[in-house]
Amino acid sequence: MRKGLIQATDAFERIVHWSLALSCLLLCLTGLGMMFHSLNFIGTIMGGLKSLKYVHNFTGLFFALALYFTIRMWWKEAGVFSMPEDLEWIKCAGGYLWHVDKVPEVGKYNPGQKMFFLVVAGCGALMVATGLIMWFPLSFPPAFVRLMYMLHALGFVAIFAFFFVHLYLGTVGSPGSLDAMLTGWVTRAWLKKQHPKWLKEMEEHGTLVVYGEEPQAKGHGHH
Amino acid sequence: MAEKVKLIDVSKCTGCRGCQLACKQWNQQPAKQTVNYGSYQNPPDLQENTWTLIRFQEVAEKDTVKWLFRKDGCMHCTDAACVKVCPSGALHYTQWGTVGIHHERCIGCKECVAACPFHIPRYDRVTDKVYKCDLCLSRIEANLLPACVKACPTGALTFGDKDKMIAKAYARVKELGGDANVYGDKFVGGTHVIYVLTEKPRVYEGLPHNPSVPLTVTIWKDLLKPLSLLAAGGVVAGSFLHYIIHGPKLPDENGSEGKGGE
Repeated sequence: MRKGLIQATDAFERIVHWSLALSCLLLCLTGLGMMFHSLNFIGTIMGGLKSLKYVHNFTGLFFALALYFTIRMWWKEAGVFSMPEDLEWIKCAGGYLWHVDKVPEVGKYNPGQKMFFLVVAGCGALMVATGLIMWFPLSFPPAFVRLMYMLHALGFVAIFAFFFVHLYLGTVGSPGSLDAMLTGWVTRAWLKKQHPKWLKEMEEHGTLVVYGEEPQAKGHGHH
Repeated sequence: MAEKVKLIDVSKCTGCRGCQLACKQWNQQPAKQTVNYGSYQNPPDLQENTWTLIRFQEVAEKDTVKWLFRKDGCMHCTDAACVKVCPSGALHYTQWGTVGIHHERCIGCKECVAACPFHIPRYDRVTDKVYKCDLCLSRIEANLLPACVKACPTGALTFGDKDKMIAKAYARVKELGGDANVYGDKFVGGTHVIYVLTEKPRVYEGLPHNPSVPLTVTIWKDLLKPLSLLAAGGVVAGSFLHYIIHGPKLPDENGSEGKGGE
């Protein structure tokens, strides 16, 4: 770790994030293996499509657990919009799509991230609920089960598309962001650009953790 | 190869259940322990090892009771919901237009059970696979009649080229008159099992009067399935365009120095 880096996430956050992310990725892959005959081969490395089915189902249970921790951990920070500043940010798309002279300052999560969180939480819960019913379809009326298949596919459309949005904006689309989820340490410049309000808040509350520096004295930020 | 059709003329059926037994014999399906529940219909329903079943039904009329026999089993749809949903290709169309099943490919997901508008496929917990009539594919391939047709003593079951069987069905309906009707050629792209019914379809228990591939299945497989790839592809393309047109969101160069040593 380099001196001057700032801690953006703790280990628990990162473990939960990657538990959700990797299980989601495995679910997408195995799901695709069952959705398209041309992708049935994905099951081959798992010992056949029947094994793939079990990998999908049990990974789903792990995903449900990870989703529970994800929602419990982040819903207060990422699940609630703070008006009107979030609306202002949305109006200019956070400066992501066209040139904006002054993008409204955002805290730990910008409204785009909040929307992403809500889609993952909502669709994730939908996938778990519909998936469990699809696992035991004979216990429910056929018309109801058919609706579950449709909703499961609908959730997949959203999650699969959002996965690539997240992949882009978490890597090349926003250099420096990946570190927040890898080591947890980010540069001050990145924090100032991406989450200036959060940086200010941490400085004011004396919760800023800078690598190689003594923890800030209590009350430092109370001017 | 010409499409084949099995014609079930219920007006000629005596409910002997020879077809039911022949089916079990050819397909080597044992019988399960059953109970007397007050009907000749036995076993009570289709099972993973009972792929065809004569349904016995009493219909009260003014002064009499009509006793209806209907041989139930896979209808072998042209537009089959089960084939549409099957993830592994276990359920498939054969060159005769019938719906076959490769049991070694079945993964026991039971999607076909929910999708079938006729409620035909049955799941076996022991093998974790789904079973249904394949219209004796192994016999058709050997140029033999399906076992049930071969066994039928009254001519209620016949098997042959689609056009001929449909023509035969309509000729029989004309002969019978009254409420007699042909069931099967007008929906799900035309079934490869066709009934000559003596009563209106609604009269028969468990027989949908206007079956179709369920709308949810169509939305799932014809709309959402391709949309999932299109949406993801659109996002990937959009991200690339965003990168080369708008560019990534980079931290300011001097930002790190500005307040760095506070």
